[in-house]
Amino acid sequence: MKYQYTYPFTAIVGQEQMKLALILNIINPAISGVLVRGEKGTAKSTAVRALADILPEMQVISGIPFHLSPDEDIETVRECFAVSGLETPNPEALPVSMQKVHVVELPVGATEDRVVGTLDLEHALKAGEKRIEPGLLAAAHRGILYVDEVNLLDDHVVDVLLDSAAMGVNTIEREGVSYSHPARFTLVGTMNPEEGELRPQLLDRFGLCVHVGGISDPKERVKVMERRFAFEENPERFCAEWQQESSALAERIVRARDLYPSVTISRENLLGIAKSCLEVGVDGHRGDIIIMKTAKTIAAWEGRGVVSSDDIDRAVALALPHRVRRQPLQDMVMDVGSLLGAKCVTK
Amino acid sequence: MKRKYFPFSAIVGQEELKKALLLNAVNPRIGGMLVRGEKGTAKSTAVRALGELLPQQAESSGGKGTAVVTLPLNATEEMVAGGIDFQETMKQGQRVFQPGLLAKAHEGILYVDEVNLLDDHLVDIVLDAASSGENRVEREGITLVHPSMFVLAGTMNPEEGELRPQLLDRFGLCVEVQHESDPELRLTLMLRREEFDRDPDSFADSFLDQEERIGRSIFAARSLLFSIRMPSHLRGFISELCHNSNVAGHRADLVIEQAARANAALRGSTEVSVEDITTVASLALIHRRRDASPPPEEQQSEPEQKEEERNEGEQSQEEENEAPEEGRENQPQKEESDGDDGANSEENESTQPENQPEEEMGDESEGSGNEQLFGVGPSFKVRSIVSPKDRKMRRGSGKRSRSRVSEKQGRYTKSVMPRGSNDIALDATLRAAAPFQRFRDNPNGMAVVLQKEDIREKIREKRLGNLLIFVVDASGSMGARGRMAASKGAVMSLLLDAYQKRDKLAMVSFRRDGAVVNLPVTSSVELAARMLQEMPVGGRTPFSAGLVKGHEIAMNYLRKEPLGRPVVILVTDGKANRSIGDSKPLDEAFRISSNISKEERIRYLVIDTEEPGLVNFEIAHKIAGLLGASYYRIDDLRADTLVSIIKTMTV
Repeated sequence: MKYQYTYPFTAIVGQEQMKLALILNIINPAISGVLVRGEKGTAKSTAVRALADILPEMQVISGIPFHLSPDEDIETVRECFAVSGLETPNPEALPVSMQKVHVVELPVGATEDRVVGTLDLEHALKAGEKRIEPGLLAAAHRGILYVDEVNLLDDHVVDVLLDSAAMGVNTIEREGVSYSHPARFTLVGTMNPEEGELRPQLLDRFGLCVHVGGISDPKERVKVMERRFAFEENPERFCAEWQQESSALAERIVRARDLYPSVTISRENLLGIAKSCLEVGVDGHRGDIIIMKTAKTIAAWEGRGVVSSDDIDRAVALALPHRVRRQPLQDMVMDVGSLLGAKCVTK
Repeated sequence: MKRKYFPFSAIVGQEELKKALLLNAVNPRIGGMLVRGEKGTAKSTAVRALGELLPQQAESSGGKGTAVVTLPLNATEEMVAGGIDFQETMKQGQRVFQPGLLAKAHEGILYVDEVNLLDDHLVDIVLDAASSGENRVEREGITLVHPSMFVLAGTMNPEEGELRPQLLDRFGLCVEVQHESDPELRLTLMLRREEFDRDPDSFADSFLDQEERIGRSIFAARSLLFSIRMPSHLRGFISELCHNSNVAGHRADLVIEQAARANAALRGSTEVSVEDITTVASLALIHRRRDASPPPEEQQSEPEQKEEERNEGEQSQEEENEAPEEGRENQPQKEESDGDDGANSEENESTQPENQPEEEMGDESEGSGNEQLFGVGPSFKVRSIVSPKDRKMRRGSGKRSRSRVSEKQGRYTKSVMPRGSNDIALDATLRAAAPFQRFRDNPNGMAVVLQKEDIREKIREKRLGNLLIFVVDASGSMGARGRMAASKGAVMSLLLDAYQKRDKLAMVSFRRDGAVVNLPVTSSVELAARMLQEMPVGGRTPFSAGLVKGHEIAMNYLRKEPLGRPVVILVTDGKANRSIGDSKPLDEAFRISSNISKEERIRYLVIDTEEPGLVNFEIAHKIAGLLGASYYRIDDLRADTLVSIIKTMTV
């Protein structure tokens, strides 16, 4: 197969909030995903794919389709080999290979079997044995699960997503097979709010929420067209032109990842986060946790070891819009700062 | 699979939740617990942490392996109840039973996350086993009974819908959790979470001492449990507590006694005290309490209706019942509502800004006084009105279910002998074929030879439900003479019905300059009810804007669910006085009505709220004609007739 060129992430014009949200999630997967709300044709899926493309490769245990890390608990590894109908290799010498971070797309029409996995029928017929055919959740482990039009997903598929997104585990009790496997992924969803809102429960599972719109500046729009044209004309040359910026970005991400564990945040800032969540009325505590993580990740991304109040403001703008408890009739608050007023975000 | 759990002792706050978990860990006879609460409040974290505390129990009582068995929402029936083990059956040439989750959960905990979303067919199986203590397998050629005594544990977010009452009653204790409002606690919580995420193992290690201490105290309490005395006068106290809370059945009494014993054991005492009972009583009563005895009509017509629904049902009835009293006595609503009914006072408030003269309210009371009558005669009359409609809709629904099967959509829940749907359940087919493999010729080298009689088909369930779109006139004219209160009462009864049916709802109101979607399509009836209470009234009547908005929602829904049959319920007096375009408001409304009626999949119901008087405009009636809608005057409607109309429209 001919090598497929991916439009470089750094060549995407505008959409800074979305790009930032995606990068933050890649640096720190514990932010648990991003929901992109907005119109069609705003480079949403291009951005997701492009970002995955420049990321450093990761180690996976080969031979089974579960994308397990070599550090995974040995019991889990054994179970995953077992349900694939394979003998577990010597734990000291697991076969390991390098893989790119994968983007798994969950189509709106996906059946539940495809999402969670099912009985491998071909194998059952041929060999008379039970074996698992893993679903999209297994494929998405340690990668990105991209759901276009997430608000149009069938209710029961949403339930499954909720469950594994929350626990990082996919549990199957279906069609004669019983197993569970790790499924920790960065959930990236897109939706057009005009076609209906998401269930609040699912909304809350997305760490961040950004709103994208078309670019209104004519000059920028021309730039979008020019670059797209250049890419389509000669993808190889276009990617080469952007190569330097791409690798710079990849390096910056790796540096931020390394820096993250040592980033500190002051007590006053933490209290500020808690107070602003209380003030605007957020259900539960996920909001606090996500804001803190996001702020720390932003600091790491900026190459700083200490979280500033500005980092928190930026984190609040990303993490709160979809969590503010609203009257059912209200539209989503896109400008959280206005709710908070000036005083409660710590200065 | 081994998972890393957030340690129990590291959970910040949520003392009641932790208490209930500990009680259950000490005494399984309490019968499990349900955790209700908003999202992101450590519900699941806590229940799963309980699993970490429990293996001691399994080992000490000689039990087997896992103490917590997770029942995923999407489990298929044979995995829960048990069925044929395909692989072993193939090998041995005779049916081999593969135990289901009910067998695995025996003497342990059956844990259901988001238990309110569990499909009905699974709820039935679980309830059956929970009440009899055994699981009867009668499927796929296997007949067998095995014991299945388990503790039910579940979490739910009430936003997503309520639980069935029988299921609710099965949970020994119930805890309502809320977020912490102390910033200091939230700070601790953030820090711990971050520490856990960074390095789960060392975080768990740092709480090892505390975990072990809790483990030891549970263990000590368990060994003490059987020597605890229960003074007999305290039993009287318990039954009085339950009686005062209007609790159905005797389970609450038993649960309180067991929980009080556990509490005493945790204290290290050998005798149950009054405090033991008072601390645990609320946990056992909160989900069983009824505020008052339900009216007999409700009980007869819907015996299976759940507690809360019944309460809300009462409320909506009370609403109508109270309206006339209010009129006669001219008393402020709030004194009467006993604090149990927000809807009442809200409605009252929404009508008051219209400067409602008191006499008119009295006038209104006669109207709703009629609504109060629950006679047999009128309901016959209603049947005859709706029966032609009924037949038509049944045909429609028959068509729907046929095409639903052929579309192969929805969740595969169980398998049956073929019925011609062509939707083959291969796993079940294999299981059916497995016992006979030894006796079949194998010409083509496949391991399994399938024959026609092995074929099984899938039964799928899809929460298709119906979509009810309420388009409510919230203009000033509706506020007059208490029309809005009556309309809200009617809509509220529909909402309650939708609640049980798991219908989807949307709500549009139009007033002043245009129509707003108050509630996008949702299954949360709670939201809709809250929405309804808060709906303000006043301004002009942009009728056509409301029509268009309702139609828009219905069309969007149809795009997603081509087989759905949305029902648009227009509640209006039809006095349009504002248009979207340039033409006269009324002409525009008529034109739009006849245009949108061309979409046959959308059905309309018009509820006319115009006051009968000397001059009747009958605009709503005309619009109903143009829409091909069923038309009812609000005075002809009682809450239950309205519900039955919708039922026949959406069967």
